[in-house]
Amino acid sequence: MFNLSLLSKNILANRWLIIVLVLVGTLFFGNELKKLEIDADIVRSLPDDDADAKLLKKIGENFGSNNMGVIILETDNIYQPVVIEHIQLITNTLTEIDGISSVSSLTNIINIKGSEYGIEIGKLVDEYELPKTAEAFEKLRTNILNNPMYKGSIVSEDETASLIVFNIENDGNVNQIAKEVINKTTALQVPEKLYYIGSPMLVTYISDLMRKDLTTLLPIAFLVIAIVLLLSFRSLSGVILPLLIAVISIVWSLGTMAFLGIKMSMISNNIPIILLAIGSAYTIHVINRVNKVRLEQEPAAIQKALTFVLIPVILAALTTIIGFVSFIFGSYLEMIVDFGIFTALGTLFACLLSIFFVPAILRVFRSKNKAITIPTEHSFLNRYLLSPLYRLIARQPKTVLMVWVLLMSFSVVHLFSIKRSVDIQEYFKKDNPTRLAEQIMVEKFGGTKPIFVYFKGNMQSPAVLKKMLETSAYMEQSPDVYTSMSIAKLIDEINYNFTNSKTFPQQIEQIEQLWFLLDGNEVLPRFVNEELTEGIIISKFKSPDNTSKKEFARYMNRFIAENATEDCQIQITGMPFVDITMDQSLINSQMGSIAIAIFFVIVLVGAILRSLKNGFLAAIPIIATMVLLFGFMGLTGISLNIATVLVASVALGIGIDYAIHIIAHFKSSLKKNNDVYKAVKESIFVSGKAIIINVISVAAGFLVLLLSDMVPLQYFGLLIALSMISSCLGALTLLPSLLILINKKNSHYES
Amino acid sequence: MKVNQFLLFFFFSTVFFGPIAAQNAETLLQNMDVLIAAPKDKDANVLMIIKDKNGIVKEREAVLKQKGKYKKLYRYTKPEKQAGIATLSLPDNVIWLYMPAFGKAIRISLLSKSQAFNGTDFSQEDMSGIPYSDRYEPSLISDPNDENYQLELSPKSKKSKYAKIILTMDKTHYYPVKMEYYNKGDKLIKIANFKYQKQGAYWFAKEVMMTTVLKEHSTTIVLSDVKFDQGLSDTLFTIENLKQEE
Repeated sequence: MFNLSLLSKNILANRWLIIVLVLVGTLFFGNELKKLEIDADIVRSLPDDDADAKLLKKIGENFGSNNMGVIILETDNIYQPVVIEHIQLITNTLTEIDGISSVSSLTNIINIKGSEYGIEIGKLVDEYELPKTAEAFEKLRTNILNNPMYKGSIVSEDETASLIVFNIENDGNVNQIAKEVINKTTALQVPEKLYYIGSPMLVTYISDLMRKDLTTLLPIAFLVIAIVLLLSFRSLSGVILPLLIAVISIVWSLGTMAFLGIKMSMISNNIPIILLAIGSAYTIHVINRVNKVRLEQEPAAIQKALTFVLIPVILAALTTIIGFVSFIFGSYLEMIVDFGIFTALGTLFACLLSIFFVPAILRVFRSKNKAITIPTEHSFLNRYLLSPLYRLIARQPKTVLMVWVLLMSFSVVHLFSIKRSVDIQEYFKKDNPTRLAEQIMVEKFGGTKPIFVYFKGNMQSPAVLKKMLETSAYMEQSPDVYTSMSIAKLIDEINYNFTNSKTFPQQIEQIEQLWFLLDGNEVLPRFVNEELTEGIIISKFKSPDNTSKKEFARYMNRFIAENATEDCQIQITGMPFVDITMDQSLINSQMGSIAIAIFFVIVLVGAILRSLKNGFLAAIPIIATMVLLFGFMGLTGISLNIATVLVASVALGIGIDYAIHIIAHFKSSLKKNNDVYKAVKESIFVSGKAIIINVISVAAGFLVLLLSDMVPLQYFGLLIALSMISSCLGALTLLPSLLILINKKNSHYES
Repeated sequence: MKVNQFLLFFFFSTVFFGPIAAQNAETLLQNMDVLIAAPKDKDANVLMIIKDKNGIVKEREAVLKQKGKYKKLYRYTKPEKQAGIATLSLPDNVIWLYMPAFGKAIRISLLSKSQAFNGTDFSQEDMSGIPYSDRYEPSLISDPNDENYQLELSPKSKKSKYAKIILTMDKTHYYPVKMEYYNKGDKLIKIANFKYQKQGAYWFAKEVMMTTVLKEHSTTIVLSDVKFDQGLSDTLFTIENLKQEE
């Protein structure tokens, strides 16, 4: 073991160096913060080692499918002169925006159709003479209904919604362009309802929510924690120093993210609030101990206190870090791994700052420091909470244990009804316009979740194209696939118009020549690559239900296995496929991260307390908390999603500290007095008080997330707060009851 | 009296010089039309170079035969996959497309004039053989001392994608040097640069480069082996000939 006293002495001797280093570090990382970018794109966070995700990313990049935005115009009837005028107005407005490569709507879409004397190539609607009469609208309606190309892409079957689809150039600034789209189309003040959807719009919208959350929730959390600290310590310095350390930790960890070029995701958006809630705790421990010692033995108080407090603070931080680091293993999304790494790093910073920077500051400003300790006159807590609690545990440890067993049994029953959700739409509140847009797309245009069937082969070969048509037809038999589009369908349509025959061209030369009519068409790069060696069928999946997705995956994989050849390789991907893997990964990730966290926590706590039994005992309240947490989720229908999957490990990392404090206190008291009841009483009255204050402060910080605009973050905040309360109750009731039951042969309870 | 002198000058300049300027602009545009349509017929090899924003270049080659303003026959020779495809443009926007792999010709009715023609930067409106003076109202906007004439062309029909075209014209020979196309939002959308050269009695556009500004996409058309007044027969410009001349 290293010499704690020497370390404490060195820390104080080098106080100025430490202060300067912290200042320089904060300036550096603070400056780096300016570079921190927000990236809300979930597709970019998908791992490259997953075949579905890799193919999805490749298709997004090569065929530009990630850059497609959609405006839904909703009204009572699309076929009205004024509505068509407004669609044209929006179309023209979008065409004028720099960075938009193409716009496609009812008023500018190309229409190729056969006539008695040949082919008519024109626009569906004459852009200079928009339809005005009933006959003109009837003609337009017939044209749309008769063309399979327009199915689910232009006007809804109930004729109340129309789509304006636009593509952002590959090197375009998606956020800026999406905002321009919203601003310019909103400024038109058309009476019809406009909804925005598609990857660029969704990503921009989530980024805005993240920014809003950061700028509004962080100050609120700051204020709430400051109030809790002020009420607990009744001293200004007891508020300033812990919060300062939390803020520096936030600046350092986010600054490191920016320095490494890692973008802020919708998960790492939580880091500041988490660090604010937990980062202040270590400083509180240090200050508390310093002042306790100071009251007794000035002037070497700080050094002496440090010697005592180093190990508990490091231990508390290490267990929390283990909770965060456990996400690195088995997480499907890179954004969760990033979250784990940088929250763990922030916790490490908070811990290091508490043991190096805080004592240095206390040493420098020692004369001005008012003693900060938890006031002993917390009679309210003593009288109304801790005393009855102790009496109950001491008198009826078995009853307390039974209550816990019952609670856990009740939770276990509900544990199996936990729902999982990987649907990004659940990020938004029910009345959110994005969610409404998704609903319209599902009800009227066949869904939003993209499916891509990828073909590798000669895109002008009749065999490959016919296989594409067969695949489309097979796919469209699924109840969740409304329509699909591919180069094969385009060629088929042109061939029909050219030859007036439904027979697909048999010769490659015929297809090569029909291609003449497609050359230079803006839609071509959406379906085939430049070399004509790869092509895709684009479709949408309707159901958000996971069972339907799995069934569809099996259905399609069977077809692919039977039909793919060397000359016509077929693969399928899309969000439903990624969702299946993500859904499975939620369970794996949850089980994996909890198992890793519990294992390391038991080993670590066991090693530090020099007893594996104590390690296991410390884990019991937190395991009980996990069971209650999942039972609560099952009971209330809060789903396990990419945000709530983090709760258990985070709660474990933070909550284990309470049990450690109780066991450590109990152990030392038992050693001193050899009386179980006295040891339990002391543990509850001294450590219990600190635990309760810590729980209130941390839970209050996390409960601020209830004000978030993103639903999973609201649940995340609520569940962590509940877990903290449960861990606290576990440490103050379940654990002491167990300690009494295990050790009571040595003592007798005296009321 | 200075004021009276000014009013007198204003009166003369608007009543007399105004129409003269307008007439000049019209005459200039007509002169350009005459120059463009001067040859009775034309036979040339056409190279189309289509370049996109990323610098990817596609080339097409065709043999062009033209008689008068409106009869044009393009027979494609490259890329090889599309060799033999032919388009025959006749008066009144009638276009016939012949595809040898199907052994048949079909009439194509291009309903939209603003539509890009076959992946190039030229629209039907740009490729139309109709004289500019029939389609646009010109006004002279250049200074007499300028190197070239500059005319602002306003479309006579409301069915034009362009709100105006700024035409730069060679002062001596009246051929177009440059055309800048503006949309209804007064935004420059396309630029055409012409390289004219004289062969025999005729000036012709040896090279035209049309750039779509926003998309940074361009099409260059280069003529070679140009022959004029070969006495091309009308039978060349028939559907039957489309099939026979493979």
